[in-house]
Amino acid sequence: MGKAKVKLDKELFEKIKKIAKTAGYSSPEEFVTHCLEKEIIKLEESDSEEEVKKKLKGLGYIS
Amino acid sequence: MLAAGSRFPSLLQGAGRRETRAKVLVLGFDGLDPRLLDRWLKEGKLPTFARLISSGGFRPLETSIPPQSPVAWANFNTGADPGGHGIFDFMHRDPQTYMPIFSASLSTQAKKALKIGNLVLPLSGGEVKNLMQGRTFWQVLEEHDIPATIFKIPSNYPPVPTKQRTLSGMGTPDLKGSYGISCFYTTDPGIPKGELSGGRVYEVFVIGNRVDAKLPGPINTFKKDRPEAVIDFRVYTDPDQAVAKIVLPDQEFILKEKEWSGWKRVQFGLLPTQSVSGICMFHLKEIRPHFKLYVSPVNIDPGHPAQPISTPESYAQELEKVFGSYFTKGLPADTSGLDNGFLDEGEFLEQDEMILREGERMFDFEFSRFDSGLLFYYVSSTDQRQHMFWRLLDEKHPGYDPQLASGYGKTIENIYVEADRFLDRVLQRIDKDTILMVMSDHGFNPFRRAFNLNTWLFENGYHRLRNPWKQEEGNFFENSDWSRTKAYGIGLNGLYINQRGREREGIVNAGPDTENLIREIAGKLEQVVDPMTGERAILRAFISKETYHGSQIGHAPDIVCGFNEGYRISWDSPLGGFPKNIFEDNKEKWSGDHMGAPVVIPGILVANRKVRAESPALYDLTATILDIFGVPKTKGMIGESIF
Repeated sequence: MGKAKVKLDKELFEKIKKIAKTAGYSSPEEFVTHCLEKEIIKLEESDSEEEVKKKLKGLGYIS
Repeated sequence: MLAAGSRFPSLLQGAGRRETRAKVLVLGFDGLDPRLLDRWLKEGKLPTFARLISSGGFRPLETSIPPQSPVAWANFNTGADPGGHGIFDFMHRDPQTYMPIFSASLSTQAKKALKIGNLVLPLSGGEVKNLMQGRTFWQVLEEHDIPATIFKIPSNYPPVPTKQRTLSGMGTPDLKGSYGISCFYTTDPGIPKGELSGGRVYEVFVIGNRVDAKLPGPINTFKKDRPEAVIDFRVYTDPDQAVAKIVLPDQEFILKEKEWSGWKRVQFGLLPTQSVSGICMFHLKEIRPHFKLYVSPVNIDPGHPAQPISTPESYAQELEKVFGSYFTKGLPADTSGLDNGFLDEGEFLEQDEMILREGERMFDFEFSRFDSGLLFYYVSSTDQRQHMFWRLLDEKHPGYDPQLASGYGKTIENIYVEADRFLDRVLQRIDKDTILMVMSDHGFNPFRRAFNLNTWLFENGYHRLRNPWKQEEGNFFENSDWSRTKAYGIGLNGLYINQRGREREGIVNAGPDTENLIREIAGKLEQVVDPMTGERAILRAFISKETYHGSQIGHAPDIVCGFNEGYRISWDSPLGGFPKNIFEDNKEKWSGDHMGAPVVIPGILVANRKVRAESPALYDLTATILDIFGVPKTKGMIGESIF
């Protein structure tokens, strides 16, 4: 699988390095990937939740 | 271009244009109930039905399991049961997320898009898909060149592919993609502002004699942050008279207090070159002491449909040219507007009256050119009025109000009388070769007591919560501990086992473990007694595998609850809520319903021919229609002709 680079603010990257080490991640990359994946799942889920709520609004059978 | 009489005559004669000797007219009155029909027949209030019954027949019509309209009409449309057509409830669930999903149609967004600054330009079109499986009877008729016109039949959004004339009905969204969101603009400090189910209340200010407001439209998917498209409008109130001028970007009109505007076309700008067109109605409820303006859900504009609502696509526009704008939202009456207090009982009926009259004009138009094949015509008002006015017919209902009942207690009787009057007009005009079937998809009964299925599952140890002390908080199973949960309820009748390998965090093994658990829960559900009334809440807990036929059974809920008369699922349980008590009184205006065991609420069948079948079912009518035209049933159709 190909890899892509993302530019980060130096100060932020230092924080990431520190937290990744404390939290037991094998590398800052692994920590960042984990955070981003979590965030993406949240966004995707909230989109579908919103979609459901929107569609069901006005269906008299539920509140 | 091909011309008539050319060497391709068969192509031109195709697409359902053969002349038939017999004609079939089907009138579908949603929710017409055999017991109420019988009651008012005996009281002599339905003389046309009486006349028709004496020349033909009247039978209770077996409804679907469960008797929800999208399910029941799909039985009729395809001649199958839910195991065949795959519609089991208004809502299904995604076993990977435990989230309810819309059962009838699926919208997908554009797969490829180009992002430029704040804009997202779709490069390939999104689409909306009808999820009903199987062939509809009008598609089968088309294959045999028999013409059909299908007016607003439910479970046909988007319309299934055909060259027959069809206009979509229940399931067709408003322009926002919902079942209908109306808006209410007011200065009244006593009315809470914000989002409600099916409505939105805006606080506005009268400055001088001017009110500034915004009409919300669809989500602007062209923009990166997907904002809601809005139209700014302005209202000028007359300082002396109960009159106001409403100014939209490209038009203005005067409304008196209590007056309806009729349809107004509104354009929501999405990009400098892109806009989407909708139609809505304004109702000036009050000018003083508090300003109150109601705006209906924005319907898809039939003159410029943003979504497919007819076949051929030009049919919706053809009707628009004849009648002007018309209701396109699947269930057009704004029941949420009445529930939310935007409309009172009288105003709701004014709106529903417009729906009835508009439909009647369209029926006259189609009937005048009905010279062959089949015509299906649908009426929603019978269903909607029974939902909203049962509380004023039934003195035992928790929402009964004697004062309101003195004014509106006959609303349901009146719509049956109205159906009789409509039928009289039809009988006067049909010829001897026309076979007439008047049918409904289910009956009706009171919704007095609400059953919290998920609360029952929780209290009986089948569903676990991570924080039981937060039981009543949230929705969508936010507090559920799936690692210890065996069963959950989603939708209006459905119960699912949390099955390993099927659900994301399933814990019950497929096979005997699941089978035994289904039997155990079904048995217990049928024994649940309401302590207040001493009555059973669930008459039958249907086990799907033993109930349905067809290839879609794998998507069915494991158990389908058939409620007892007077009972229904609660308001919060269908979307994964856990209210405190298992039973609650239903004090809402939505007071009649049809979620019962089919034996409690059959529909009706009245025909102008002798009916041979003793206990016909919805899918038998499908087989009957095909049989009349000498067309064989297709694979998966399970009914038999009733004549």
